[in-house]
Amino acid sequence: MRNPILARQRAKVRAFFGKPANVILIVFCVVLSVLTLYPLILLFLETITVHAGKEARATKLTAGEFSLYSLERIFATSKNSYSELTFYEPLFNTLAVALTASLIAIVFGGMVAWLITRTNLKYKKFISSVFVFPYIMPAWTLATFWQTFFKNVNVGAGTSNGIMAAVFGIYMPEWFVYGYFPISLVLGLHYAPFAYILIGGILRNMDANLEEAATILKTPRWRVMLRITLPIVKPALLSTLLLVFASSMSAYSVPIFLGSPVRYYVLSTKMMSLINNYPGQGYIIAAVMIVFGVTILAINQKITGSRKSYTTVTGKSSQISLVNLRWMNRPIAIALTIVMVMVAVVPLLTFALESVIIKAGNYSLDNMTLDFWIGRDLDYLDQGDSTGILLSAKVLKALGYSLMLAVTCSLVAGTCGVLVGYGIVKRRNSKLSTLVSNLSFFPYLMPSLAFGAIYLAMSSRVPGLQGFAVLALIGSVKYLPFASRSGVNAMLQLSGEIEEAAVIVGVPWYKRMLRIIFPIQKSSFLSGYLLPMVSCMRELSLFVLLVPTSNTLLTTMLMQYSEKGWAQFGNAINLLIIMVVLLVNFTVNKLTGASIDKGVGG
Amino acid sequence: MKKLVSLLLAMLMLFSSVAMAESVADLVKAGEAMTHDELVAKALAEEGVFTVYGNTSRIVTAVEAFGELYGIAVEGSNLKDSEIYTKLETEIKNKVDGADMVMIQDGASLQDIAIAEGYLVNFVPASVKANIAQDDQNPLIHQYINKVFIWNNKGENVPDITNVWQLTEPQFKGNIVFKTPDAEQVNMNFLVMLTNEEWSGKLAAAYKNLYGKEIELGDYENAGYKWIAEFLQNCVFGKSDTTLAEEVSQETAEGKLGLFVLSKLRSSSVYTENLTVGQYKATETNTAIEPFSGFMYPMYAMLTANPSRPYTAMLFIEYLMGADGFKPWGKSIGAYSPNGEIAPLEGDLALDVWKNTLVMEDPEYILDNYEDVYSFVNMYLQ
Repeated sequence: MRNPILARQRAKVRAFFGKPANVILIVFCVVLSVLTLYPLILLFLETITVHAGKEARATKLTAGEFSLYSLERIFATSKNSYSELTFYEPLFNTLAVALTASLIAIVFGGMVAWLITRTNLKYKKFISSVFVFPYIMPAWTLATFWQTFFKNVNVGAGTSNGIMAAVFGIYMPEWFVYGYFPISLVLGLHYAPFAYILIGGILRNMDANLEEAATILKTPRWRVMLRITLPIVKPALLSTLLLVFASSMSAYSVPIFLGSPVRYYVLSTKMMSLINNYPGQGYIIAAVMIVFGVTILAINQKITGSRKSYTTVTGKSSQISLVNLRWMNRPIAIALTIVMVMVAVVPLLTFALESVIIKAGNYSLDNMTLDFWIGRDLDYLDQGDSTGILLSAKVLKALGYSLMLAVTCSLVAGTCGVLVGYGIVKRRNSKLSTLVSNLSFFPYLMPSLAFGAIYLAMSSRVPGLQGFAVLALIGSVKYLPFASRSGVNAMLQLSGEIEEAAVIVGVPWYKRMLRIIFPIQKSSFLSGYLLPMVSCMRELSLFVLLVPTSNTLLTTMLMQYSEKGWAQFGNAINLLIIMVVLLVNFTVNKLTGASIDKGVGG
Repeated sequence: MKKLVSLLLAMLMLFSSVAMAESVADLVKAGEAMTHDELVAKALAEEGVFTVYGNTSRIVTAVEAFGELYGIAVEGSNLKDSEIYTKLETEIKNKVDGADMVMIQDGASLQDIAIAEGYLVNFVPASVKANIAQDDQNPLIHQYINKVFIWNNKGENVPDITNVWQLTEPQFKGNIVFKTPDAEQVNMNFLVMLTNEEWSGKLAAAYKNLYGKEIELGDYENAGYKWIAEFLQNCVFGKSDTTLAEEVSQETAEGKLGLFVLSKLRSSSVYTENLTVGQYKATETNTAIEPFSGFMYPMYAMLTANPSRPYTAMLFIEYLMGADGFKPWGKSIGAYSPNGEIAPLEGDLALDVWKNTLVMEDPEYILDNYEDVYSFVNMYLQ
């Protein structure tokens, strides 16, 4: 006999799983829990576990036992001002830097996004394509450039003059060259393109009818901006703030270059210096960073909790009318161009120059050589490689590996991002949707270094999870937030009616995705593929603990060279990475019409 | 039933891991009794890529030359010591394929992590055993490396120091470069060593010699702590010894002094002619820098506990300890083999001379006092 209640239950379940969005959410809920929460539990366990070596010596316990030792050291040790110096001061510095950097990124990136998408600014093409350079480049490139440009004998190590002092005779003060100001600025500039991509995408795609209606009603321009444009980009602004703040908080390479010469510590640099000798204390700092990240996420959730629907792409056509900048056009364009050249082009020239000189600081022709690029038998240089990078089997192999990894991560993360975006938006306001939304964003809040360390621990428990597999997995998980954010943003703009028409005539789900949803928001989704790819190509701290050897990836090789002080090879490899990424960007652009500089927009 | 099976499995695993650990030790024992030819035969019979990690860049050159010599596929990686320890832990705990042997510095961590946890196994090749001092055999030292006071000799203001207390004086504020001790363990180890009885005593005596009065310690525990505090306050911290060497060697770096690896002077990017090595000058003029002119630490060569080519690893260690294997390091100053048959490079000082003027590592003392000195040093790193 069939039980009617059971049958109804069964029907309910069937109906639930009949909707693709539900299936997607359930699958991702399970997978992401395993990939993010499990490592998180491991991390929290590490904070109270005694590790072999110095911790075991200090506690007189055996490795593996539980102890509150690390917690006490980090939070409550006044001897030698230990906690203050190790934790509280770096924490304060971190917050100051992250906040400043995210403000700079949003104001600068948002402003340029508006100028590019909504005005008749001149040199748009140049500015928009060069604007993303700093984001494509590894963050430390701008930092090292800042250092080589502004350093002088009066500040920091102060043994040699940079270009500013040597050529122009201008000696910048210490606060300008090292510490809080340059770290915030460099991070802000580095992440500004990110703000530009997210905000620009929304601006480009939003229905201009709203603004036009306001203009017809003679609303002043500032009011249009304040009451229409800003509210529409608000979700993107908040996302950006969130992402940049979290990124800046866990940034490691910039503070190490621009902070350590004047002993300016942030949490990430402190964590790195602790993790070898006192892993427990390092993990506590990682945990604190995560707690901060989660708090930010919760606040954001509360603010946008009601999630007003910002449907901006509808079935109706829309046309964007550009704001006429009039007499301000050229000055703004020229100023921006100069800034962009300084930020994006001059560093590249500097790297190129630094990769051909033999002794630092001597720019005469007889001190120059192309050996670091195409030389052979370079043992006399004693810089770690005997062949120029373009001929070096070692470098080319690493290049291939890096590319393969980036493509894999981008395919996995990008596709998952589209699906997650679809699922989240379709089931918006359900608990499941919120949960998956948070889970898919969670990896972003994990400091890369700590995330890598935890995956290292995890890889030892899962057979087969070594080498390429673990790198591809962590890359995909870590960059899922990029893809899922752009997926969600793209889907939020899509009016439900677009899909509904197809549903009514019985088009299967996969076809709706492939033939309707994806094509409409193609460039938006594709940026969800591009961002992981670019990030992956220049990722360092995430992979550094997981690579089989430091020669596996271009970035780990680059870091090794930089730490060894092999500046010329390092600069050459750096340039190679940037060129490859630009080439990828260009190719994808030609093939699909999407590119990073076009961002989320068509 | 399930419980029984899992218990059996667990016991089996335990048994196999014990058996495995024993077998590496047994192999080493057997290897130590072998002649060179026997080792070669055994090594060539092994399969797979021979993998080594080392925190010296020249390990790659050495292992490639070795591979070519015997026709063995090799892979050498230059990693930081902390990276090596992390990798060893994962590889050996989980029996993942990884390094067959490592070259590593930081004797303290070596004792407490790698040896105590059984990640590394010592092997002394029979062919060189007689030429190596007993103290250098367990764990086997491949070479000694020194970091010494080196200064810029341009201009009028040359920092010709004769006593390390001079470095604590106000005119050196910001003029000393040193790789930050929390970035390289051996630098921290050196500072820890200064707090022991021997060195704090010598520092107190040197203070008296320089200023003609007894040292006043104030709140400092001993003269070692006082020197560390005042020295670090005058330091500017760098990230890489190569960069420090380059910077100090610049024409513009008048009055600068560094404490970094002597072998960095080999780098083509350093203006060697602008640099004076403190101990060289002291030896030439028959004077001294009181009470030390830098510090010295060993680089060890050991087998991992989970080698896929154990005999190749032993053969490689034998090769490294000989003249050919030492070549990548021996061709420039700043590397010293404990093998009595390998003389230091012409123009460099002998290992014994250095040992007498440099601060050497004592792993046990470092381990017992690390936390105190570390948190003390921490105050002066920011």
